[in-house]
Amino acid sequence: MTKNKEKIPPVVKLNYSKGDLIIKAGDYGISIYEVISGKVGIFVESGGAETRVAILDPGMTLGEMAFLSGNTGTRSASARALEDCCLEVWHPAMLLNDYKQMPDVLKRIAGQALKLITRMNKMVVELSLKQEKLNEGQTHGGYDPQEDKRKFYRKSVSLECVFRPVNSPKDLKLPGRIRDISKGGLGMTVKTSGLLNYTPNFGDELFISTYLMPNQKMNMTAKILWLKKDKTNGTISLGTAFTHMEPDDRKRLGFFLMA
Amino acid sequence: MTVDSKVIGYMVSEERFSDKAVIIKEGSIGDWVYVILEGRVKIKKQTSKGLLTVDTLSEGNFIGEMAMLKQSNSKRSASAVADGPVVLGVLDSVRLLQEWEAQPVRIKKLISNLIQNLEETTKKAADMIVASQ
Repeated sequence: MTKNKEKIPPVVKLNYSKGDLIIKAGDYGISIYEVISGKVGIFVESGGAETRVAILDPGMTLGEMAFLSGNTGTRSASARALEDCCLEVWHPAMLLNDYKQMPDVLKRIAGQALKLITRMNKMVVELSLKQEKLNEGQTHGGYDPQEDKRKFYRKSVSLECVFRPVNSPKDLKLPGRIRDISKGGLGMTVKTSGLLNYTPNFGDELFISTYLMPNQKMNMTAKILWLKKDKTNGTISLGTAFTHMEPDDRKRLGFFLMA
Repeated sequence: MTVDSKVIGYMVSEERFSDKAVIIKEGSIGDWVYVILEGRVKIKKQTSKGLLTVDTLSEGNFIGEMAMLKQSNSKRSASAVADGPVVLGVLDSVRLLQEWEAQPVRIKKLISNLIQNLEETTKKAADMIVASQ
């Protein structure tokens, strides 16, 4: 029992700003969140459009569908902060034993609710796509996917990494240090003295390689969104958004961010 | 789908309904939970254009469980109407409720939340069907 307890990450509270993406459909994730304050919208994606299927108030949970279906795979819907909010994160290991001990009849009832809600969500999406075709040209729901800020919970880190611009020779390895990382991108600092002839520019795409944990090498490509030079100590801070990551790396990152 | 023997263990009686009989009325208060033993049951929502079927349930499915598991009120969120002759098992709601109440807080929160989402999504689906007609 004590052994088991050590493995379960503690309950943490995360703050999100209005518009932030909390969960992205298709991403790996197993955490369950309880809304402590603020409002969260649940969106289902289909054919490139997002349809809001629910609004969660304080006291409500998200991520429970994946847990109850025993699905440790990808998220079926996205969640976005509709206003500034605070969420409590539960690791499923905390709940698994309790769930297993639940009487079968309650499990079956939960299982049926899960099936019905999946059916209803599908129906809502189909209907809204049909509706959208009818209203072509009009904006829908006040939400524009183009404005997706893709802001995620950022974890502060200090990880050594190597990087190079994508069009540079493969053996080039420039040193950098990752300062924060999220599912959407990372921030890093580089020493100008270590950059050889390369001058980072807005829009440059970089190959970045790092170790999140010992023996867990992770590769990604990311585009520079902003940079800030600090001449006094000869460093440049870069903000990037991921442009490519292998599914295994994405999964690793998901687990890393959760722990 | 067959009816699980563990569910049968909760049955206190059997009830029969003829075609189109209203088993549960939307908006009424009640905490009976049924399991369908034979036949089909239509789930209907009241809309601005009358009663609308949003789903059809069959053997092994539960009806009436939502009111029991919700945190807020026990008002029936939809009507259940027999689609042809139906045989239902009435479950021991006292025992069910006791077992439910004994669950850890977080587990209860998860399941109540799922039920609440189901209720909201069903209402939304019904509204959208009406709007598209």
